[in-house]
Amino acid sequence: MRIQAKNIEHYYGIEHVLRGVDISIEAGSFTAIIGESGSGKTTLLSILSTLLNPTSGEVTFDEKAISELGNIDVFRRHNIGFVFQFHYLISYLTLRENIALSALDEDSVESLMESLGIGRLAARYSDEVSGGERQRAAIARALVNRPAVVFADEPTGNLDTKNALGVYELFKHFSQEGTGFVVASHDKKIADYADTIIEMEDGKIVKILKR
Amino acid sequence: MITPIKALRKNRFKTALIFMSMSVSIAAIFLISAISGGVVSMYSAMLKTDGDIIVTQKGIADTFFSDINRSMVDNIAQIEGVREAGALILGAAPVEPLPIVGIYGVSENRFKSYTLTQGSTPKNGEVILGSKIYETLKHPKTIILSKQKFVVSGVFKSRIGFEDGGVVMNLHDGGVLFHKSASIFLVSLDDLAKSDRVVKKINTLNPDIEAKTTDSFIDSYNQFKIIKTSSDVIGAMAFLMGILGIVSMMSMVVNDRKTEFGIMRSIGLSSWVIIKKLLAETLIIALVAFSFALALSLGVLELIEHADKFQGYINGEITVSLVVNVFVVSVVMAMLGTLLPAIYAARIDPMTLIQRGGA
Repeated sequence: MRIQAKNIEHYYGIEHVLRGVDISIEAGSFTAIIGESGSGKTTLLSILSTLLNPTSGEVTFDEKAISELGNIDVFRRHNIGFVFQFHYLISYLTLRENIALSALDEDSVESLMESLGIGRLAARYSDEVSGGERQRAAIARALVNRPAVVFADEPTGNLDTKNALGVYELFKHFSQEGTGFVVASHDKKIADYADTIIEMEDGKIVKILKR
Repeated sequence: MITPIKALRKNRFKTALIFMSMSVSIAAIFLISAISGGVVSMYSAMLKTDGDIIVTQKGIADTFFSDINRSMVDNIAQIEGVREAGALILGAAPVEPLPIVGIYGVSENRFKSYTLTQGSTPKNGEVILGSKIYETLKHPKTIILSKQKFVVSGVFKSRIGFEDGGVVMNLHDGGVLFHKSASIFLVSLDDLAKSDRVVKKINTLNPDIEAKTTDSFIDSYNQFKIIKTSSDVIGAMAFLMGILGIVSMMSMVVNDRKTEFGIMRSIGLSSWVIIKKLLAETLIIALVAFSFALALSLGVLELIEHADKFQGYINGEITVSLVVNVFVVSVVMAMLGTLLPAIYAARIDPMTLIQRGGA
């Protein structure tokens, strides 16, 4: 899948947060969007992931506009995964139940949890595991339907360095298996893992570095 | 079904509040319907005893105000197809220490309707007491009615609360006490199929009287309509209060669980899935609340039935059809009360989750 954003402009009230952004993301790539707080990277991520409609400009998925994708919930469930800065696991569900919440095929949950190193924690609740394990469960939830692209917004913001690097390793590993990752972060270490690094400043892309 | 139960357990306090709100509303609907139904049913049963046709003063709103000449009962008894006709005086008076007691003056042929457990049928100056009032008054030998002393000649048992908590005397004494000849005539027939013909004949006897089949009388009796309408209005208010209670509590629940619903939206679960989830949670509460309210209502009715204060006049009746109706009302209440908060939950923008995390 190819995601393209063309001439994206976005305002929050009178605040101009994105200024004519053009970007193209391929499935299976690992793209990092870096920049300071307020640079517009989270807004761009939200627009690319269909959660937010831009003030102007167009986002297409394989040349199809969002309006042509049919039911956006169904499209999102099949094609897009999310990882947030906070794990946002549902506290009254076990890790397995959290991951299976949107699963199209529940049989894949166990093997996915094993591959993320949290298989033994399937029956635990989110307050019974560490921060790193919680974030791994959140990543598993994003990957459970094998989406074309996973969007992650500051996914290591609440993790220590060791766990943060572990998350990047996982992203790298799954991107090599064909899932695209678009990660917004102000952590410079992500540059060591990403194929493409997009640097943003004041709502504009100021640099694109491809490896 | 496991996930909704887990969600309810997680939010125990608010679950308990919704449960209590629903239980109180459902119990209120049960009780008001059961008590009003019981009153109507008891009075209907009393009129139906030996009465296929009921004769009252024409155009009267309440049998207690009806006054007809008892001598006509003999003419009615002569009509072809009539097995028996009896006169009845319906009244109420205080019997120390009870503020109000049902008093029935009955013709001789109607005494057989009262199953005596002790003593004999009343002669002039005597009364028989229902077993309930006999116990309440602690086995009196005499009672005072309108400053007149009556000897208790016997005790009867009746399944009809108004009678079991009442005083029965002969028609003569009843007439003297209430200054009337008779309130109603109860006419039993050989063949019910001929009731319309007999009703017509009775109505031609005197322009001041009105005969109806007992079923038709009960259907059109104003007092029953008033009781039924009042019960429906109070029941409807309890239903609305229940819905408002659920809406307000579920709105708080949804607000507390915004993140959860935002996550569901972000991972592609449809709005309908979220609405169904919340409806399932309230439905579970509704089922438990319904069972609790039913048990509570049965308990309260049992207490009321045996409370001396009510003299056995309030016999709530929870019929199978009432249980089914209230069950349907409970489910509808839960669904309606949850729908708006659930729709709100299904529209929570997952962007709020992202905006909490970054720029």
